[in-house]
Amino acid sequence: MGDSKTLNLNVRKDFPILSKKILEKKDLIYFDTAASAQKPNAVIDETNDFYENHYSNVSRGVHTLSVESTFRYEDARKKVQKFLNARSENEIIFTKSATEGINLVAQTFYEKFMQKGDEVILSLIEHHSNLIPWFFLRDKYGVVLKFANIQPSGEIDIDHFESLFTNKTKIVSLTHLSNVFGTELNEKVISICKDKNVPILLDGCQSAAHLKIDVQKLGCDFYVFSGHKTYGPAGIGVLYGTENLLSEMPPYQGGGGMIGDVSLEGASYAELPAKYEAGTPPLVEAHGLGIAIDYMNKIGLDNIIEHENEITKYAFNKLNEIDFIEIHGGDNKRNSIISFNIKNVHSHEVSSFLDVEGIAIRAGHHCCQPLMKHLGVNSTARLSFGVYNTLEEVDKFIIAIHKCKEFFNK
Amino acid sequence: MNDLINDLYQEIILDHGREPRNFGECEPHNKSADGHNPLCGDNLKLTFLLNDQNIIEDIKFTGEGCAISLASASLMTEKLKGKKIEVAEEIFKDFTNLVSGSDEDLKVLNEEDSLYALKGVGGFPMRVKCATMAWHAFKQALKD
Repeated sequence: MGDSKTLNLNVRKDFPILSKKILEKKDLIYFDTAASAQKPNAVIDETNDFYENHYSNVSRGVHTLSVESTFRYEDARKKVQKFLNARSENEIIFTKSATEGINLVAQTFYEKFMQKGDEVILSLIEHHSNLIPWFFLRDKYGVVLKFANIQPSGEIDIDHFESLFTNKTKIVSLTHLSNVFGTELNEKVISICKDKNVPILLDGCQSAAHLKIDVQKLGCDFYVFSGHKTYGPAGIGVLYGTENLLSEMPPYQGGGGMIGDVSLEGASYAELPAKYEAGTPPLVEAHGLGIAIDYMNKIGLDNIIEHENEITKYAFNKLNEIDFIEIHGGDNKRNSIISFNIKNVHSHEVSSFLDVEGIAIRAGHHCCQPLMKHLGVNSTARLSFGVYNTLEEVDKFIIAIHKCKEFFNK
Repeated sequence: MNDLINDLYQEIILDHGREPRNFGECEPHNKSADGHNPLCGDNLKLTFLLNDQNIIEDIKFTGEGCAISLASASLMTEKLKGKKIEVAEEIFKDFTNLVSGSDEDLKVLNEEDSLYALKGVGGFPMRVKCATMAWHAFKQALKD
């Protein structure tokens, strides 16, 4: 186990849950950050403080608490804007989840820009949340879906992707960082979309806390991520969209907060971003997300990324040495995620076995059933890392994996 | 080794998980249903032949899954073959109580039963669905 400056982030004390004992005696080793990240003290405390000292509804009343709540909610939006380097706060829509963001785009983009027979390009590695909203368009409106193939490395086959475009292609929606392979989307994919003048949505659930995001530099038209995977609360998500597109697309849901003026004959709608935020929003969760962003900035996203890359590489090399382990995807660079199988042992067995050792990993299809089918597996085990993980934890995991193999092949 | 793991993976479970009994399709059959665990993608197909005295003459399954789901299906087919439907339904109730850690008294199953080996699943709430997938398919087949 090597020493490293990046391993001295000294953040473990910030995460109270890391002192929990699993089954009363095992230290928790949390390798399931890709499913949901643990929360630092700052987020937990600030969330409590919001309820204890500042809570009211936002953007409605004029009293003190309403002002304090609204300030926190809008301040969180500013933090997200800077975090993504969006041009304006109007481009940041709070949703309840990344999933809701994709559904919002699918529905409203269709309504404004598409008709029966128009085409959407997706890929084989998409999470169900970036498939089903588009399936709805296919089933309800006769939209045609096309799926880009992947190479053995887990990356999108660029030539095949490019060949899918026709003059009916209206939008592309792809994962920015695969939740199974941990591989980043090739920038070339985005430039192809630019060349063809077709908007692209990036599903940033796995990239938001693990890559430096600059939506302007990326050149994407939409980007979604969720608060709970970025050390913030569950129940808050973000949709970034360019002001041009968001202005043209119609509102998603109707309700309070998204209106300009209402009479019984009809209504006009609020300006961005309120236009897409009908109903009382997850205001405390939005504030919590803002605090999580502060927390990541305090440590420095570059430091976090370097730290995670080091752990990922270390774990990859250790796993790669073991002959009974099959790693999915290629040897290319991965960001914080490794999927694998122990030969002849179902991922459920691996996960239950590791659980009693205190090690939390994900087992299953990772909401990517079409990809599992393509890989020819029923499920995989997945390691995913966060700012709080250490090389020592990886070493413990490797020992446990050998014990697991021995147990099931006895 | 941890007791919980040894309780969960008793020798008989590992054995039936590796070599499931009654694996295949029952021909002829007059009842069938698919079992599916949407959380993990495990699935099975259950087929059986119910005769005019309401006795399960033959019962088989195919599918893919973890050791717990395969062993549970395998042990289920062994247990239910030759049973009257009324008895099979009592076994179903007992079994679901057994693996879900319910403290309800068992009526027809006891510690001597091979199915009792699946009691350890109670220590792993997320695995209860693995153990009951085949059983729910059985119930479903009776409804259809």
